[in-house]
Amino acid sequence: MHDNPIDTSIYAAVTEAIQGEARRILSEGHVAAVVGYAAARRKGSAQPVVVTRADDAGKLIFSAACVNNLAVYLTKARKEIPKSGKIGIVVKGCDLKALVGLMGESQLKREELYLIGVPCAGVLASTIQPDTALTAGTIAPKCRECDAHLPTGCDFVPARQPVTPELEKHYSAEIARLEAMTPAERWAYWKGQFKKCIKCYACRQVCPFCFCEQCLCDRNKPQMVETTPRPAGNFAWHIVRAMHLAGRCAGCAECERVCPMDIPLNLLNRKMAKELKELYDYEAGFEVREKGPLATYDEKDDQSFIK
Amino acid sequence: MSRIGVFICHCGENISRTVDVERVAAEVGKLPGVAFATDYKYMCSDPGQGLLKKAIREERLSHVVVAACSPRMHEKTFRKAVESAGLNPFLCEMANIREHCSWVHQDRKEATVKAIELVGMMVERVKKNRVLPTITVPVTKRALVIGGGIAGIQAALDIADAGYEVILVEREPSIGGHMAQLSETFPTLDCSQCIMTPKMVDVANHPRIRLYTYAEIERVEGYIGNFQVTVRRKARSVIEEKCTGCGVCMEKCPVKKIPNKFDQNLGMRPAIYVPFPQAVPNTPVIDRENCIKFKTGKCGVCRKVCGPGAVDYEQEDRLIVEPVGAIVVATGFDLYSIEEKPKGSPIKGYGEFGHGRIPDVIDGMTFERLASASGPTGGKILRPSDGREPKQIVFIQCVGSRAREKGISYCSKICCMYTAKHTMLYHHKVHDGQAYVFFMDARTPGKNYDEFWRRSIEEEEAVYIRGMVSRLYQKGDKIVVMGSDIAVGVQVEIEADMVVLATAVQPQKGADALAQKLGISYDKYNFYSEAHAKLRPVECATAGIYLAGACQGPKDIPDTVSQASAAAAKVIILFARDQLEREPIVARVREAGCVGCFYCKKVCPYGAVEEKEIRDRQGNLVKVVAYVNPGVCGGCGTCQATCPSKSVELDGYTDEQIVAMIEAL
Repeated sequence: MHDNPIDTSIYAAVTEAIQGEARRILSEGHVAAVVGYAAARRKGSAQPVVVTRADDAGKLIFSAACVNNLAVYLTKARKEIPKSGKIGIVVKGCDLKALVGLMGESQLKREELYLIGVPCAGVLASTIQPDTALTAGTIAPKCRECDAHLPTGCDFVPARQPVTPELEKHYSAEIARLEAMTPAERWAYWKGQFKKCIKCYACRQVCPFCFCEQCLCDRNKPQMVETTPRPAGNFAWHIVRAMHLAGRCAGCAECERVCPMDIPLNLLNRKMAKELKELYDYEAGFEVREKGPLATYDEKDDQSFIK
Repeated sequence: MSRIGVFICHCGENISRTVDVERVAAEVGKLPGVAFATDYKYMCSDPGQGLLKKAIREERLSHVVVAACSPRMHEKTFRKAVESAGLNPFLCEMANIREHCSWVHQDRKEATVKAIELVGMMVERVKKNRVLPTITVPVTKRALVIGGGIAGIQAALDIADAGYEVILVEREPSIGGHMAQLSETFPTLDCSQCIMTPKMVDVANHPRIRLYTYAEIERVEGYIGNFQVTVRRKARSVIEEKCTGCGVCMEKCPVKKIPNKFDQNLGMRPAIYVPFPQAVPNTPVIDRENCIKFKTGKCGVCRKVCGPGAVDYEQEDRLIVEPVGAIVVATGFDLYSIEEKPKGSPIKGYGEFGHGRIPDVIDGMTFERLASASGPTGGKILRPSDGREPKQIVFIQCVGSRAREKGISYCSKICCMYTAKHTMLYHHKVHDGQAYVFFMDARTPGKNYDEFWRRSIEEEEAVYIRGMVSRLYQKGDKIVVMGSDIAVGVQVEIEADMVVLATAVQPQKGADALAQKLGISYDKYNFYSEAHAKLRPVECATAGIYLAGACQGPKDIPDTVSQASAAAAKVIILFARDQLEREPIVARVREAGCVGCFYCKKVCPYGAVEEKEIRDRQGNLVKVVAYVNPGVCGGCGTCQATCPSKSVELDGYTDEQIVAMIEAL
């Protein structure tokens, strides 16, 4: 069952359509650059690329190895991107949710972006070699419960329909397992996970929502979070991270992908998202919203925590 | 190096009873940075403050910590004292060792240890206090008065007479409120209309009062001295500037049988109406729910007959923004209805009194309309059911009030007096009738009040029965009242023609929603809360907002008028200054760290956060950051808690200070 192949045959046509659209908007001067994916050195692998000339549009691809969330290149990692002019960007559904979140938080303006949406059947898990075929066994955990195979509200989306078989849900099952634990067991579980953290902050660097120029964890007057990788400081960091992402994280799972210590960071994010859904009926989506649930107060909000 | 002085107050015995103040002084004196520590019986007294000032000079103190009561109580006192001794007042902090320590603990030893720690925390905090210069803001010398009853009218007249402009907003089509509905008033039995209507006319004619009737408060922004109030003027369908008040429209309106709320639904009115003949302004309003023109599109008689062409069916609600410097809230009261209440409501109805279904069981206000010469019966006491004169009438006091099982524990204060008045009015109008009063006890404090009550018994032949009524039911055309006389110890049964209930005084409906717009606090019954029960009874905790009348708690007319004048005096005091000094406890943005997510702007309840562009020397935009307008900032700290990168801090409450306090523990 794990070997059941997932149909990625549309990716060739999607690649062609992306190239065509990128060539058009670059040559017609609609955008100053297009952020997308290009083939990398290893066979079958892909890497982010910034294309500024129409002649280079042929470099752009889309495949099951195009795992990165490119939204991060529009905010803090905006190095090779021209300072002025509209920017084109290739987005999967999961990435688009992050972009939309950034618009709601005044980091990006919709009118300064040209969104090339990707019909996506899924990408490979971070532990899988890039030239492997996409199957029920090799697909990334986040794609197993994806509800955004077709992004909406983009300027351009190749007219292809991805085939999306029903897959066993990874995070839902994990959350159910955690919720069945006693608080003490759960504490012990996360303590075991966070103990592994080496404070490399890769999760922070890759996250599109961690756009602060100066992270509060790097401040020392006063020091908010212990900097050495000791259990107490690790806990503080991961709790700050989870709380800061609550109601914002759209589940691109980049943090989990880049974590060298294999901490299930997206599991924590999904659990927070579930809480927000239950408490405030809020989910990150494709609509730009001015205020997140934690920045608003409504009389009907749950007050049961006040004892 | 700081030279901190610590002053520990005994608060009489309030603190020293539970806390060993001498030991606190001795221990705290050893802390690094503390140059002087002492204790005194009453630190807030004149000699106590003198001690503090002397120590600042003689010991060359750089910072001061006063360990005493809550800063809400005396922070201002001590900061003033510190200022007069030449130090910046914001270099003085208070450690609360009374409310937070001595009052809540019994063990002297442990309480002393806790007091030492509380003071120690404040010592660490005060070391990081900065000199804060006072901020001055201009004062808009115009007042808003919400509610056009006697409270609002009195406050508006007083403020306007002092020379300031007043905006008076009333929800109903006319000002006058409940007092305009009353027949005669205790303890003198003078006609309510006769003393009320001249004041209403004064309001209408006052050159400095702008009256908005049939209007409600939509939104309130800003702060003391600088409020922006949005008023919704509901569509009256009659242009006030054109209407002459001739009344032809009302005469010709084909719909005539609409129960008039002003007459407690006993009298009838047309669809275009003024609530009562003496209404101010004397401009009718179209009740769109009952008007044929609005229901079917036909009719239009009122427009046809209106000489000046004042009727306007297309009129829409208008929103008007008024800048004001102070607000008086005078929204008044409403009466408890004994009807069945929705499930889950803390207020219960009276099933034992028929849940309001017996037509001749009425409330006190309905009796007022019956007794009023301008009322639906022309001043005759007649039964609503068949129009007969009741020969036996029963008054029941404390209906809803002082009845915890019904959801209200407070005394409504006015009912003893108005019931005594009702028995007199009844006796004057129905000479052969008999009035009975069921009461728990008579509460008649007030000038000439007890004499008035005695008179109802001794001269006006009312029979007072001490006890409560357990049940009322209709039997033929009589109402059987079953009660007990606890003075004699017997059950009483009276077959009455009419029963009048002295129902509890409650705040107006929607009082809570208005409070939320104004940002003022209210109690569990929705009465508005004063800043201090004894010493600041007309001020709200929110600066620049004052209370008058029954919206703050049940009140009779003399009390209401006094409070309204007091509120007006507070407004006049505020307006006597051109500049308002405000506490410099405001938020400040660290622009280097700000990434412009503007969460602070989204959560700021004062609208104090603006967007500011940072440009380089060539004029290129570097980034957009948050900027806090210090004149508008309320110092609540919500932005500080919300900022993801900790780039905004509240002066006097910086992260550094809070962390220093935690680390001192």
